Amino acid sequence: MVIMAADRQAVALGLGPGMKLADARARVPDLLTFDHDSLADANLLSRLAEACERYTPMVAVEPPDALILDISGAAHFHASEEALAQDAEDRLDAVGHGISWALAGTPDAALALARHGLKEGAEAQLPVAALAMDDKIHQALERAGLYRIGDLAERPRANLAARFGMQLTVRLDRILGLEDRPIDPLRRIGNIVTERRFAEPLTHIDAALACLSELFAEAAERLNERGQGARMIRMLLFRCDGDIARLGLETGAPTRDAALFQRLLRERIAALNDALNPGFGYDLIRLSIAAAEPLAPQQLRLAGGEDRQGDEVALVSQLSTRLGRERVQKFVAADSHIPEQGLLALPALNAPAPVAWQMQRCGEPPVRPLHMFDPPQRVQVIAEVPDGPPHRFTWRRKTHQVIRYEGPERIASEWWQRKDGQQPGNGGLTRDYYRVEDARGRRYWLFRHGLYGEEKANPDWYVHGLFA
Amino acid sequence: MNNSDSHSAGVSELSPANIPAVPKTASPKAAALKARLGRILAASGVKSADRDDGPSHFTLGVDRIDAALRGNAGIDGLPCAALHEMHAADKSDRTSAAALALLLAQRCRALQPAHGPILWVSDNGEARRQGRLYPPGLAELGVEPSSLVHVDAPNSIAALRAAADGVRSPAMGAVIIELSGKKPRGLDLTATRRLSLSAQKSGVLCLLLRTGSDAENPLPTAAFSRWQVGPAPSVALAGNAPGYPAFDISLLRHRSGLYGLSARLEWNRDDQVFREQQEQDTPQSGTGPVLAAVRTDHPGTRAA
Repeated sequence: MVIMAADRQAVALGLGPGMKLADARARVPDLLTFDHDSLADANLLSRLAEACERYTPMVAVEPPDALILDISGAAHFHASEEALAQDAEDRLDAVGHGISWALAGTPDAALALARHGLKEGAEAQLPVAALAMDDKIHQALERAGLYRIGDLAERPRANLAARFGMQLTVRLDRILGLEDRPIDPLRRIGNIVTERRFAEPLTHIDAALACLSELFAEAAERLNERGQGARMIRMLLFRCDGDIARLGLETGAPTRDAALFQRLLRERIAALNDALNPGFGYDLIRLSIAAAEPLAPQQLRLAGGEDRQGDEVALVSQLSTRLGRERVQKFVAADSHIPEQGLLALPALNAPAPVAWQMQRCGEPPVRPLHMFDPPQRVQVIAEVPDGPPHRFTWRRKTHQVIRYEGPERIASEWWQRKDGQQPGNGGLTRDYYRVEDARGRRYWLFRHGLYGEEKANPDWYVHGLFA
Repeated sequence: MNNSDSHSAGVSELSPANIPAVPKTASPKAAALKARLGRILAASGVKSADRDDGPSHFTLGVDRIDAALRGNAGIDGLPCAALHEMHAADKSDRTSAAALALLLAQRCRALQPAHGPILWVSDNGEARRQGRLYPPGLAELGVEPSSLVHVDAPNSIAALRAAADGVRSPAMGAVIIELSGKKPRGLDLTATRRLSLSAQKSGVLCLLLRTGSDAENPLPTAAFSRWQVGPAPSVALAGNAPGYPAFDISLLRHRSGLYGLSARLEWNRDDQVFREQQEQDTPQSGTGPVLAAVRTDHPGTRAA
């Protein structure tokens, strides 16, 4: 067992990560130890990353213990970049996290400097271990008399690459700031971000909501300039004690309508599991448009008639916001002849444009049921001949006499979906569907699962749907 | 309505023939009386004349029944801007009741110029056990499945709330709310009156579909009419195949005091119309089509 992390007191006693537990116990017999919970560590790190979004929207997590903040052009609320970093250190210190930070031109340089406790411009003094390569390579470098990054920087890259691999030269260039690397931020930033900072934190929800409405109006103006409307809106409310409330909204169609936004926002807040709690107040509120789509400026009708399309979208958006997007559905035909796979129930918020369903005049009664059981329900059937139509069936402990029937409609399985489905016997069971009517006039859709004698010795029967 | 329409309407309003002889502001009492009359007419199912998107009533397409439903309003059929209740005759007759509600909604929205979508709200539990709506089956009944917005509400209160929002929105063609059980939570006189008033205001048809309700002692509601729906044996096609969808419907309550109306209907998908079943050859079913005597102004049936 090895120590993964140690607190300040333990470090003062000379213990540290990487030390064997037995050695540590030998030095400090009454050592308190806990099992390492990497998941909790990762959670904590991502929570800290979210908290750091107050400084810049570009925050990336660098496991296991680092965060990278891209603060290019984000330091204007602070006196300098150093002041911003100092502010972050103070805030994290207040909640019990000691950090070491560094500023640099590239993420790798900043990481290496921060991990080795150096400040900007000291890249050359970093030990070769800062390259974060294999231990053997670090040893080989040291054996060759190259102890610092500065020693490597002067060497011709070709020789280093030939001896230690390309990877080393790439990392070296990144630390020296010769090559940049894109970071992978927690969240894709919206292309429109509006925010308000408050010297005196807002302690009332109503004030915060009014602020969000104002922010949306600002964003809507900018959307209008671009001829776009918002589809997805993200809101962040930063509490001054570090807690963050996150709200997201989605609309069924691009919108710039402030009234609709307010209605959806109220729905969203009413649907929250734990209500918004301003605590000591919000000191920063940010609203970003995470997804936007083209929306041409609309002309109001001369007669003052209502906008039906818009009303429908507004209703769908409102219901989806209140109940969750999966609960408001539109039906779309899918490309499959298996009855239960022939449709998709997609969220109505982003369902594709309606495609006309196949409906032709035929003078026949419906051959597909109005209600379907998925999965089908087992029934006990008595048939006159084993591969014939049902004569009587028992479903939910009630026996139904079949008065009329039509069938079978044979629906084969999708053998091409199965491994070796083209081989005889591997393609899955065929279904024989019957439309039957019982004495009371109820109409059922029954099927026999498997061809009698060929695919199955004693096929089961199921009820798959109910007709009107 | 397009621009040219509104323009011509404006011109006709200004034409000399339409200028009222007496200034409108002359009699506030007349205005008050007119408003009161409007309220009374609205309550009895007659739509106010200031909305002109489609007719105020929809019919089933069966002359006998449509004429019998004339009631106090004096117009054939059922009012669009109202709440109607469909009760499944038995727990296992949910599909029949659902189909009838769907088809009535389809008949109603076919009259509207905009063909708004149908909002179908169901509470969660029943759909799992009794089967869920199957879009190809909707298409087979003649209702375009893409014109349906399905809301799978977590409970009956959320379902009623979603339906109320739907009824308020004039964009909807019809709203169907499906609630199961003897006494769904939240379904009471207040909730149904809210639906009914919203329907009157917006002109959207609202259908309350009830399964597992207590037929002897139904919950009091503010619905305009209440129907009981069950399946009926179909007229067999060639080869003894089950025929067109058939329903036994009976009117339990109507705001004009009609009662005792019952019929056996068949749905013709191609013409989108109901018709009365012609022949009857299944002795097991017991009750044939009852040609009912319709009485109006029966005092006992007015109470909800």
